[in-house]
Amino acid sequence: MTTPRPRSPLPPRAVDALLVDTTPWLSCDECFERMDVHVEAVLADPHHHDAAMEHHLLGCAACADEARSLLDLLRSGTA
Amino acid sequence: MTALSRDDLPPPGGGPGTTTRPVPPGGLAGSARTEPVDWVVALSTPGPEQQHALRLLHQLMVRAAAHQVWRLRHALPDDSPAAVEVVVQQAADEAMTALLGKLHSFEGRSRFTTWAFKFAILQASSDVRRLQWRRREVELRDLDLGTIAASDHDDAEHSAEAADLASALARAMSTALTPYQRRIAVALLVDEVPIDVLAERLGTNRGALYKTLHEARRRLRAELTERGYLSPTGGAR
Ligand SMILES: [Zn+2]
Repeated sequence: MTTPRPRSPLPPRAVDALLVDTTPWLSCDECFERMDVHVEAVLADPHHHDAAMEHHLLGCAACADEARSLLDLLRSGTA
Repeated sequence: MTALSRDDLPPPGGGPGTTTRPVPPGGLAGSARTEPVDWVVALSTPGPEQQHALRLLHQLMVRAAAHQVWRLRHALPDDSPAAVEVVVQQAADEAMTALLGKLHSFEGRSRFTTWAFKFAILQASSDVRRLQWRRREVELRDLDLGTIAASDHDDAEHSAEAADLASALARAMSTALTPYQRRIAVALLVDEVPIDVLAERLGTNRGALYKTLHEARRRLRAELTERGYLSPTGGAR
């Protein structure tokens, strides 16, 4: 297929990030409030499911990094 | 908090590459037997027990801050051990102040140590990102739609579809978002300015920016669903 295609000012990473479905709504403050309980739950059960937290973490790079760091820290202490 | 012991900095976070085994988060080395049974009571009741609990808490904050700064150290303008230690200590001190201000809100739904760690990680992240961007301009620019018209050529069907979606998304940004929503979305997700850095530069906060981004995403998804680029259940068609 050689049809010229339009270029976009949006790199693929940005497209993915812009289209993340962040519903149900959870604020960064609420994410922070829940983060300790959530991370302990994930550590205890890798299949633990919390849609609001998971969607927030997919859509918020800062909270996602902090949650990952907390998880790593707890894991490093129990390994 | 500066009166508290600063002798407890672990080697950078017990992070990758170090030979020091990290101390379990449930208790610090040799201190498990002296850890308060009830941290909130110990930290809020004046006396020797409070001083002891404050020292233990500061050790926890230093440990978590060191862990996070170590992870992000390559983002620091100066990642020498001495510079890293300064960032760690400042983050630990500030995080401890923040935690003590919210002590009454600890409900015991997680271990106290886990609850405490998150304050230090948040503060350390924010401090590292602020240092990383300290000398960088943050431009609140609009999306450059001029490049949409430029043609390119894709021989893979997959990348042609991806380019179609990206172009449709760029157009949706220009029609479905307010100029402010568009600029915030571009800064955070195209230029990848950290959210707390952007908040500081704009004199707002992380929560307000995330809310703007959430609403922008909701509008974009609705627009692309209506135009047939996204299925009503969520994914790209
Ligand atoms: Zn967030």
